[in-house]
Amino acid sequence: MPASPENNRLENIRKFQADVEQCMKCGFCGYFCPIYREEHDEKGLARGKDQLIRFALEGRQDLTKGFYAAIDNCLLCKTCVQYCPAKTRIDHAVTAARADYVAEKGLPLSKRFVFRHVLPNRWLFGAALRFASWFQFVLPRRDGKFRHLPQFLTALGAGRAVPDIAPRFLRKLLPERTPARGTPTHRVGFFSGCATEYMFPEIGQNIVSLLQDLGCEVVFDRRQGCCGAPVLLSGDFATARTMAAKNVDAFRDYDYIVTGCATCSSGLREYPTYLSRTEEERQRFEQFAAKVKDFNALVIDVLSADVKRFTVKPEYQGKTVTWHDPCHLARHQDIRSQPREILRAVDGIRFVEMQDADRCCGLGGSFSITHYDVSKKIADHKANAVSASRADIIATACPGCMIQLRDALSRHKLDVEVVHIGQLFKVAPTPSANP
Amino acid sequence: MAYEQITSHLKNIVGRSNVLTSDEDCNVYSYDGTSNWIHKPDLVVFPTETRHVEAVLKLANEHRIPVTPRGGGTNVSGGSVPIRGGIALVMTRMNKILSIDGANLSARAQAGVVLMDLQVALAQKKLFFPPDPQSFFGATLGGVINENSGGPVCLKYGVTKQYMLGLQAVLPTGRIVEFGGSTVKNVVGYDLVSLLTGSEGTLAVVTEAVLRLLPMPPSRKTIVALFDDLPKSGATVGRILDQGTVPAKIELLDNWVVKSINRIAKMGLPEDAAAMLMFECDGTDEVVAHDSRQVIEICRKEGAVHIIEARDQAEAQLYWKARSAGFAAIFGAAHTVLSEDVCVPRTRMAEFIERVVAICRRAGLEVTVIGHAGDGNLHPSVMTDARDPAHYQKAQRAVEEIIEAAVEFGGVLSGEHGIGLEKQKFMRRTQDPIFIELMKKIKGIFDPNGILNPGKIWEDRSC
Ligand SMILES: Cc1cc2nc3c(=O)[nH]c(=O)nc-3n(C[C@H](O)[C@H](O)[C@H](O)COP(=O)(O)OP(=O)(O)OC[C@H]3O[C@@H](n4cnc5c(N)ncnc54)[C@H](O)[C@@H]3O)c2cc1C
Ligand code: SF4
Ligand code: SF4
Repeated sequence: MPASPENNRLENIRKFQADVEQCMKCGFCGYFCPIYREEHDEKGLARGKDQLIRFALEGRQDLTKGFYAAIDNCLLCKTCVQYCPAKTRIDHAVTAARADYVAEKGLPLSKRFVFRHVLPNRWLFGAALRFASWFQFVLPRRDGKFRHLPQFLTALGAGRAVPDIAPRFLRKLLPERTPARGTPTHRVGFFSGCATEYMFPEIGQNIVSLLQDLGCEVVFDRRQGCCGAPVLLSGDFATARTMAAKNVDAFRDYDYIVTGCATCSSGLREYPTYLSRTEEERQRFEQFAAKVKDFNALVIDVLSADVKRFTVKPEYQGKTVTWHDPCHLARHQDIRSQPREILRAVDGIRFVEMQDADRCCGLGGSFSITHYDVSKKIADHKANAVSASRADIIATACPGCMIQLRDALSRHKLDVEVVHIGQLFKVAPTPSANP
Repeated sequence: MAYEQITSHLKNIVGRSNVLTSDEDCNVYSYDGTSNWIHKPDLVVFPTETRHVEAVLKLANEHRIPVTPRGGGTNVSGGSVPIRGGIALVMTRMNKILSIDGANLSARAQAGVVLMDLQVALAQKKLFFPPDPQSFFGATLGGVINENSGGPVCLKYGVTKQYMLGLQAVLPTGRIVEFGGSTVKNVVGYDLVSLLTGSEGTLAVVTEAVLRLLPMPPSRKTIVALFDDLPKSGATVGRILDQGTVPAKIELLDNWVVKSINRIAKMGLPEDAAAMLMFECDGTDEVVAHDSRQVIEICRKEGAVHIIEARDQAEAQLYWKARSAGFAAIFGAAHTVLSEDVCVPRTRMAEFIERVVAICRRAGLEVTVIGHAGDGNLHPSVMTDARDPAHYQKAQRAVEEIIEAAVEFGGVLSGEHGIGLEKQKFMRRTQDPIFIELMKKIKGIFDPNGILNPGKIWEDRSC
């Protein structure tokens, strides 16, 4: 059945048609795509997905369930884009195709409830998690550390080992306004992200405290919600737009919006690419996106902080630390050197590079739930690299990666601690000569 | 037998997860690296063991089902497009390296191993398998063998054929055969290993191969030379080889690519350079020092306007990466790029390129020429747009003229990409009929029912 161009069918794919047609079918991505490396099936390869989308445009491929399954089988890790000689933006093609599928056929049931009702509502989300956590004791325990979440929270990671729900959410722990220590130089908005808010509030506390020491007044605006990345990247653009509107509104008045979650910073910065329908909207999203900074990038690029002032917390003194590049940091935002600069400069830890530090950990948001088997195999490579590096600690800057890395390391029985880079340090008081 | 019965038989042979039948599955195995050939298989089968291939071929032969072997699907001649439907036999899950034998300088591996994975494993033992088709990230050993591939280093090291010791293959009738052996010297009967090498999957399905290896050259050096005049660069290549120096690679890039390298990699190369030669010398330190001195001296004498000597491998990598990027830029420069693969005698290369440029200028078409100058294998790429019939036809006509010119210059119409579907019409036009007659007969012996990769090379594609 040929596509009918007279209506709005496939409007998102059409928007990214140049990207779709950029692929010259050379097959180089075969060596790099983590999914293809496990499955050896063209359908999971960047080229295969791109061609299916192209066929959809040409009327050779209907938007079947199988089509969605194929384009859903992508980590959006951009490894293919990094090495593609034609720089084909598979991430654009796949995300657009998901959106057109969702627009035409609706979200798959498994994602619908959580995306439409739970994620957009901070209160409901918190309540749902809290509710779930009351029942944690009836759920299976693994290795004493991790528990399963009930099925209806699949979007967060049921079916795998996930960390406990925090006993107190970040909102309860962090004031709305944290003043700078010393002379304030910047006023920044803090974007927590769901995982930091509900699972790892200590990451948020640490980051805010570090920024405070570096001269920032940090505002944790309560109007913020989920960044929308899981929803946006699943193709539910309509819901993502309501989430985006909320966040753009909440952070109107800050010079910078900082977050410790790589997925959030990259998701927030994707608004203009996918969600804008008018030029006015695009400009508004662009302005917002330009202010969004990953924690590492803020510290090095904006604050030009003297990282020598960072002191390692006593529990991490003398440890060997390696770094895992989250895809959403390294490939989506080109942030690679900044965290390394910090880890190298700080006294008291030894920094070692592991093999393929920027290799995708295999989480890919809901990919890890819908495709847990492949996700695990991809994570195995990471676990082996961590093990070979002989590091005591693996630092990263994405709570999603942290969940995946902990799961992988515990499966491999490796005694390596997974931390957010912001958790490693404190900042020494500014020397009085240099206020 | 009905489709469902065949599928269930196949599932019994290779396992459920190794038989795919949906529309999406068939769509993603309907193409290869070529832009204009698309045909869906009826189902997709992944063998994971040689005896699976044996059983699949027996079944297919019995029921006269077409079988098209496929490796990485990177060939650019339509070779792995299942033009008559049937089974796409995808070898990518037979991807084990079985043994690496340093003392005998040989290795045995399954056909679905990706060339780069093989190279990485060999490099760890300081060994190397010289054939280097530039698609090594996607190409599989089986595809490399069946296309008799060769890349830049074939100037010094030759092509795949020179590195084949033995093959395990399954005949289309479902019989497993070991061809050749594991020794360099072997004159036991006809050389069927060579016959299968380059047979584009039309005679047998290769399941394992025994490869001849070389020790990894301990040292290498890259030299870049720019010329303000194309014939001068051509003459330089001849002079260097004439003087007894054989670099591993000599690559030629034209002004179009030089400019795009400048744009992409900000290399600051002279924008008006008509041609750029890239050399890589390899061997022991002494050989590399001697050869690169020779290369530089001759380039200078022949009038190179700018010579760069890479100080180390890191710098060398920058140039080779820039070359790939410049090459890739060709494919992004127009909606459709008709990239040819002719091979002309080295001495007539410059003259041939001038002819190509003239043909395209007359037709008002943009063209760029890059190639493996060491062996006269050139890829003239004509930019067009398949959506614009008038322009596209003009481009196709120019390509025909280019190929005819290559043959007129004493060259061949395909140096490394094979015939497949893409070059069939030129094949018939340029070859002695007896050659095609012989191939037909050979095919009949291997594949009496014509089930294996039907419609390719010399065979009519419709049936
Ligand atoms: C960007 C680019 C650069 C390239 N550069 C070069 C180059 O420098 N030199 C060069 O020579 N080629 C080059 N090629 C062409 C191509 O990559 C090679 O021919 C490669 O060896 C094909 O390997 P494959 O695994 O992709 O085979 P496929 O494309 O899958 O198949 C090629 C042929 O072999 C058959 N076949 C595959 N596996 C088997 C098997 N196990 N048994 C029997 N038959 C089989 C198929 O039926 C088909 O006819 C290039 C291609 C691209 C896209
Ligand atoms: S996505 Fe890029 S690397 Fe993969 S086949 Fe297309 S052009 Fe080649
Ligand atoms: S984004 Fe990642 S998973 Fe998706 S096709 Fe590219 S390499 Fe594969």
